[in-house]
Amino acid sequence: MSRARSLAITSAIVIAALYTAWAQGPTANRPVEPTPRFADGTPNLGRVAGEKGVWNVPYIQNMGMRIPGPDGKTAAERGSAAENGGRGGAKAEPDVPFLPWARGIYDYNSRNNSRYDPEGYCLPPGGPRLMATPYPMEIIQQPKHKRIFMVFEGATHIWREIYMDGRPHPQGDELNPTYLGHAVGHWDHDTLVVDVVGFNENTWLDYYGHPHTDLLHVVEKFTRPNKATLHYEALIDDSGAYSRPWTVAWNIPWSADGELTEYICQENNRYLLKLTDDFGQPVLGR
Amino acid sequence: MRTTLLVAAVVIGLLRAAAPVAAHHSFAAEFDASKSFKLTGVVTKVEWQNPHTIFYLDITDERTKKVTNWSFEMGSPNGLMRNGWTRNTLKIGDMVTVEGSLARDGSPYGNARTVVLNSTGKRLFAASSQTEAQ
Repeated sequence: MSRARSLAITSAIVIAALYTAWAQGPTANRPVEPTPRFADGTPNLGRVAGEKGVWNVPYIQNMGMRIPGPDGKTAAERGSAAENGGRGGAKAEPDVPFLPWARGIYDYNSRNNSRYDPEGYCLPPGGPRLMATPYPMEIIQQPKHKRIFMVFEGATHIWREIYMDGRPHPQGDELNPTYLGHAVGHWDHDTLVVDVVGFNENTWLDYYGHPHTDLLHVVEKFTRPNKATLHYEALIDDSGAYSRPWTVAWNIPWSADGELTEYICQENNRYLLKLTDDFGQPVLGR
Repeated sequence: MRTTLLVAAVVIGLLRAAAPVAAHHSFAAEFDASKSFKLTGVVTKVEWQNPHTIFYLDITDERTKKVTNWSFEMGSPNGLMRNGWTRNTLKIGDMVTVEGSLARDGSPYGNARTVVLNSTGKRLFAASSQTEAQ
């Protein structure tokens, strides 16, 4: 083997190794650290006292590519040509059990490149999209108060509160539809299970524009298999838009030196001021 | 081998610097990724605001000498700060070179991917939302 060729191959290997290390996050070069726990053994899903750190929520644009198959892997993890799918509409996503109207809406959102995405209006993500909108997030457990807070830098600087005190969801009209819904949680061994209902219909499931209705019921499972990884899984159960429940999953990496900063989306949203409808009329100001 | 590591370090440095990406509105609805530009001009205004920092450049057409005021969208201030910016990185009167994608509507407006300060040659990533497969 020529020296130049050998050098080229070595370079490629070194670059690939370093890239992998980078892609896995800043802590990947260190030994895998175990799941942090509280004195009673409950996993700590947040910071360790005295340290920095936030969860770097990834940009999951298309949940249709995040459905675990029989091998447990999603299309995105299998190295599909386009990690986010290619804007092929509902036809390109046979694993998403669209009802006919949801299929039509999804195709419309696909064709116009998510032009009317509620996040473009600076509205909050709803349902599982909280964990798919790429801004840092903190989890704060309050065992004495039987609550868990999740604090999100973006998309609209919001928090959610998960009741861990065993209360049921409000029933009937007592359940007021909201952007983030009503969330109750419990621990199943090392898994935090969160059951959420009471969503309004002002949000999309993801950037690509999978719709949902106010019948949406989300069951989330959070695990921290090691200090650097939060594994997220969400069951999307919405008989108003899908013919059966479907599950999406991805990992959220820990950023050991990250901290939250302020992000107020509504400050100067020029996109919305310029946005026109399909007939060329301004969406606002009429 | 030393050269190899240096090359690798530079490549990783670039990737690392570009890592945090903000997302607000649809990139493809407003910009055309196939219409890239590289433009040089003088800073006339900076709006260091959410959800997107916008800066304005007076750009002179070399042929006609006509001056047009362009505007360029970047990421949010928090995304830019994670990429090494501060609110004073761009000052009125600075000569800068911007690369990115043009607006679909043909107006003098673009999405900035990188900005180079011509006085120092310093190149900064603009926390662009352009990550969608086009």
